[in-house]
Amino acid sequence: MNLKQTLSARSGVSDRIRDWWAGAPMWTRWLVYLLLLLFVVFVLPTEGVASIMSPQTDWITTLWDPIGIYILLALGLNIVVGQAGLLDLGFVAFFAIGAYSVGVLGREGWPFWGTVVAALAIAAISGIVLGAPTLRLRGDYLAIVTLGFGEIIRIVARNTTYIGDSRGISDLPRPPSMFGLDFNDVLDASAFYYLIVAMIVLVIVISVRLNKSRVGRAWAAIREDEDAAELMGVPTFKFKLLAFFVGAMVGGLAGTGQMGGVQGYIQPENFPFILSATILVCVVFGGSGNIPGVILGAFIIAWLPERFRFLDDYRYMLFGAVLVIMMIVRPEGLLPSRQRKAEMQEGTGGMGSMGAEVATPTTAAPEVGGK
Amino acid sequence: MLLEIEDIHVHYGKIEALKGVSLQVDEGEIVTLIGANGAGKSTTLKTISGLRPLTSGRITFDGKDISKVPGHKRVLLGIGQSPEGRGIFPGMTVEENLHMGAYARKGDLTKDMAEVYDLFPRLGERKKQAGGTMSGGEQQMLAIGRALMTKPKVLLLDEPSMGLAPMLIQQIFKIIEEINRRGTTVLVVEQNAQQALSLAHRAYVIETGKVVKSAPAAELLTDPEVRAAYLGGDLAVDEAANDTAVDTTPRNGQD
Ligand SMILES: Nc1ncnc2c1ncn2[C@@H]1O[C@H](COP(=O)(O)OP(=O)(O)OP(=O)(O)O)[C@@H](O)[C@H]1O
Ligand SMILES: [Mg+2]
Repeated sequence: MNLKQTLSARSGVSDRIRDWWAGAPMWTRWLVYLLLLLFVVFVLPTEGVASIMSPQTDWITTLWDPIGIYILLALGLNIVVGQAGLLDLGFVAFFAIGAYSVGVLGREGWPFWGTVVAALAIAAISGIVLGAPTLRLRGDYLAIVTLGFGEIIRIVARNTTYIGDSRGISDLPRPPSMFGLDFNDVLDASAFYYLIVAMIVLVIVISVRLNKSRVGRAWAAIREDEDAAELMGVPTFKFKLLAFFVGAMVGGLAGTGQMGGVQGYIQPENFPFILSATILVCVVFGGSGNIPGVILGAFIIAWLPERFRFLDDYRYMLFGAVLVIMMIVRPEGLLPSRQRKAEMQEGTGGMGSMGAEVATPTTAAPEVGGK
Repeated sequence: MLLEIEDIHVHYGKIEALKGVSLQVDEGEIVTLIGANGAGKSTTLKTISGLRPLTSGRITFDGKDISKVPGHKRVLLGIGQSPEGRGIFPGMTVEENLHMGAYARKGDLTKDMAEVYDLFPRLGERKKQAGGTMSGGEQQMLAIGRALMTKPKVLLLDEPSMGLAPMLIQQIFKIIEEINRRGTTVLVVEQNAQQALSLAHRAYVIETGKVVKSAPAAELLTDPEVRAAYLGGDLAVDEAANDTAVDTTPRNGQD
């Protein structure tokens, strides 16, 4: 009870901060952005911070992978789940597709940046391939199909000799040196850290812009009531497909930024279902639909198990307990958006209604049973 | 005819919800479709607005066959619907909800917004309130207001009286009359047959997916069969009502 009260008092604070932010003039915002960026570039990866945050593992490596990677993945999944309200349980598939595209094309002699461009295209197309037939399903049905997709990608990777079956691909290509950053130094991960920061900034900018546009309004409408959105003239199917497309591209980008970790190799088992679930936890735990919340959520979820490494396997028990408690006292997440909070109060939670099929005049109703 | 529905059949999976419904709505009219729970009223409206596909039959609007036109394009043609129950966007404010109504069109909205606030002063007082935290009656007003923001030629209303107190039911029906007087054709689905028949020019009665009667509304008000079934006669038509607990009570004595 006490905990609940303290947390809701804190939520009053976060409300006030949000109100202040909403009313803050442009220059204040830019100043905050600049300070945040300076902090991330010059303060976060230093020794002093490292000794508190990560006494047992190399802090900069941890900041890159898993923290940076989780943040990228969570931002991508947030577009699908948080903004459009589509429950995707197989998001890891796009992460794998991005990483494998880099690996396979790199082996064929492509330069790193070439593989990245191709990886983004391939991931985005996979998003469409998955979405086109399945986005006519709703809620739990969509979740099941996407979960299956994630597993299919992993199993195909394990059984395809051309992409190294269960051994995977080694010697992933590395970016050429730039701005004095050396990507071939195995002992210093700071180049990778800065690369992932750049990717995260890019994705944040794209997310924010989309969110403020007509696209963002359409996604919010679909999330809150899909039928009503269609009645308002929102081409719901197209916009859901667009969410899958953009989300998949961000997932693929995370895959290219992962680069097989310090060792530089990937295996099918790097892309298990549990990773999809963990990323979904990052989004929901942080505050589905709210970008700062999602980043904070991903940071905490990626960092906690690393920080408490000395507890061995007990850390996962602790981790689980923290999640359960958080979801009881703050089901809307650490930093929810105001709109999201209102949705939660209304009871839909905005993760799509649980009806079965979405039928439009141009599609025959699929036979998936009723409500 | 502004809207013409010819022999439509609609399925949910293998269940046939509409078994050949035909009806017409002429420009300027208020037409009502009455029937018991599960008769197919909502399905009829959803099919007209394009949320449900047709198995067979034809829908013509403004002289064009729109049977295959997707829902979001029918809005542009002039079909606006206020959906059943809480069909508003709960996380958006009243103002944002109304703006969503104009999503598909461009141009200045201030005049249209003012008109909605004029019809529903209550909405004007609560512009910044989240839709989901409005009362049932206010949400109903918001849903109708939002449908008006699409600038419909025909307004489809699915049980506007659902869950409202008797006072408010009368108020909503007055507003519907006013909307019609200002030039919008209305097709209203109701279980509150008394009120709907007093309001409408013409009426259809639907039973288990079929239209069983169609006549001027005043005639049906005195029709013994209709009286028995829908106007507080002895037939227990609404025993299955689940979400309409409130509006079953005023049905008997109201006018
Ligand atoms: N999503 C669905 N899946 C399966 N069957 C459905 C679905 N929606 C409606 N039905 C069925 O179709 C029939 C007609 O339903 P509809 O909602 O049109 O009734 P209604 O006349 O609007 O009833 P009410 O007055 O209770 O709103 C009912 O038998 C209902 O069970
Ligand atoms: Mg109904």
